Amino acid sequence: MNFDDTPEEATWREHVRAYIGEHRDQLAIFGAGGRRGEDLAIARMSQATLYDGGFVGVTWPREYGGQGGTPMQESIVYQEMSRAGVSQLIGLIGIGMCGPTVIAHGSDDQKRRYLTRLLRADDIWCQLFSEPAAGSDLAGLRTRAVRDGDDWRINGQKVWTTQAHMADYGILLTRTDPEQPKHRGLTMFVVDMHAPGVTVRPLRQMSGHADFNEVFFDDVVIPDSERLGPVDGGWTVALTTLMSERLSIGGAGTDVGAGIDSVLEHVRKHIGALSEDRQALVRQEFGRQYVASMAIRYTGYRQLSALSQGRMPGPEASAGKLAGTEAARAVADLCVRLLGGDAVYASDLDGSRTWPDLQATLPGLAIAGGTDQILRNILGERVLGLPAEPRADKGITFNQSIAGGRS
Amino acid sequence: MNFDLSPEQRALAEAAAAFFTASASPANARSTLEDGTPIAPGRAALAETGFAAITVPDAAGGGGGTVLDLAVVAEQAGRVLAGPSIVTAARAAVLLAGDDERLSALASGRTSFAVVDGVSPVLDATTAEVFLALRGDALVYASGEVTERAPIDPTRGLGDVVLGEATVLVEDARDRWTRSVQVGQIILAAEGLGTAARALEIGVEYAKQRSAFGRAIGSYQAVKHALVDVYVGVEQLRSLVWFAAWAADESPDELAMAALAAKGLAAGVVERAAETLIQVHGGIGFTWEHDAHLYWRRSKVDRFLLGDDVAAFDAVARLALAEPAAV
Repeated sequence: MNFDDTPEEATWREHVRAYIGEHRDQLAIFGAGGRRGEDLAIARMSQATLYDGGFVGVTWPREYGGQGGTPMQESIVYQEMSRAGVSQLIGLIGIGMCGPTVIAHGSDDQKRRYLTRLLRADDIWCQLFSEPAAGSDLAGLRTRAVRDGDDWRINGQKVWTTQAHMADYGILLTRTDPEQPKHRGLTMFVVDMHAPGVTVRPLRQMSGHADFNEVFFDDVVIPDSERLGPVDGGWTVALTTLMSERLSIGGAGTDVGAGIDSVLEHVRKHIGALSEDRQALVRQEFGRQYVASMAIRYTGYRQLSALSQGRMPGPEASAGKLAGTEAARAVADLCVRLLGGDAVYASDLDGSRTWPDLQATLPGLAIAGGTDQILRNILGERVLGLPAEPRADKGITFNQSIAGGRS
Repeated sequence: MNFDLSPEQRALAEAAAAFFTASASPANARSTLEDGTPIAPGRAALAETGFAAITVPDAAGGGGGTVLDLAVVAEQAGRVLAGPSIVTAARAAVLLAGDDERLSALASGRTSFAVVDGVSPVLDATTAEVFLALRGDALVYASGEVTERAPIDPTRGLGDVVLGEATVLVEDARDRWTRSVQVGQIILAAEGLGTAARALEIGVEYAKQRSAFGRAIGSYQAVKHALVDVYVGVEQLRSLVWFAAWAADESPDELAMAALAAKGLAAGVVERAAETLIQVHGGIGFTWEHDAHLYWRRSKVDRFLLGDDVAAFDAVARLALAEPAAV
């Protein structure tokens, strides 16, 4: 057991740190401009600059523009970016989910056209999976793809699509055969987000921000050459995407929501003004959350170590998200309470909205990327080996399940 | 970075598991509770295997191992509710550092030690002959009179102790005393890790077998999710136990925080594991004849040993707030 960098890791870290220092002017610095993504040009330049240094797609194979590196190296890049205040990569969804899916299932031509541009943020990618009637039960999706000669015609609607409003391409999961059971009869495509018939509408969240979108497809034409994987074999392709999401845990062990250091500063700032009994209560809760953040961090390190030794991440990775979400909510609650009378307003007298804003984003954390309840099902069934929930739509076709109101 | 046990530590865990499952069990804990049968495996068997003396140096007849090695063993002890606690030997080894004669008596089992913290109940007092305590800044070695009281968890050998004749072993023992508390907290959390993990396993097994409304109860989300929450807690605790034990061996600056964190988290995780175990079993889980209450007893007692979780969280906050502000 050892928490220090190996000599190789230390050399890599120095290399990353030096590069970031030298190219700071071309990198997006957190808090320097508006919110992440508001200045798309800077965000793209930032990613391209890091790509040129060899720090984007670190774990991707070299033939596709990656570095053939380790998850630990990737994690070091993200740590050094965070340390230097560099904003997250704008193309994380493409790097972590869409790109690996193209690598696994795309044609040589698709790989050649898409992958390097994706890593350089020449193109932004989004993932078009969820629908109004298919969220946790993703395989119940209804967006139809119908064959038309060498093309496919797409009609339907996706929702909760992060970054669709800035995306150039997306991976799109569709239903091609509703007469098969729901997990079969799905097909994956690469869709050009600028194609005629694609309409993106931002969705405003309860926090007031608009990070994700609904996307409408009206007779959108996709050539068959943009299909990813076999016709009606889209579920397997989607599982690749979701598995890649698990693999791209570059942030493993980092805090979800507010970093514990910023919470510490906030507690420091406010605790002195409280009565002694109130201080004791704050210490108790802050201590509890400090311990939770340590446990989450070191559990992330265990996962990262397992990844570095070549072990595939299993469903147990979901435990980290569950713990992180719970801790993030408790932390935000503590921080909001410390605002005293300001806790009932959306900003304090200095105009700071940090904690009220965080409070309003956290309900989404327990939903996005697998709801808490779905994650518990996954852990219960796949890790603890408990029997599965009964499924009312088992052994019947998708059309039958819709007719029976079961999907 | 490599945050994982070594192959040797995994082998050690297996060997410890073999010993503890053969020599202790909830059935033993039950006998101790019902008729005062001696705690299993007991001091002699523990000394014979050398498991409790892993952190005693080779020269004094111990294992010359690390706190992390000992934590790996303690987890296995916790799974079967073994006694006396590995905590007792771990703390004595810290306090007696440099005193090879007494360390050798500890390792061989010739002397039965317990460690007395102020006025609080003393772990493994009922099987001890000699007590280590702090008087002012000095470490003393004393006889003691033990008052046994009705136990909740009989495997902990708790009693109130009035010290008798005392010999000063070390004049300025403040630092080693602090370390003995920290190492004790870590090993206590490691035992708790084993207890919680085993309670979870038993609950999961039952949830697979027991049927209600025509289905295994483990298929219901209400039951499944309760068990998953325990699982998540156990894995979080495992990370902190390993980290804290590593800090005890390798990173003195991080030890105080890490030990408190492990202690504080363990209290709640073990308690939740034990209470979930009972709840998943329904009525049978609440009976005397079922083993669930033996795990529950352990959790209800351990949370108060070496300070409770509230004290640990408060101390964690004080340590964090006392750190120099980040620039």
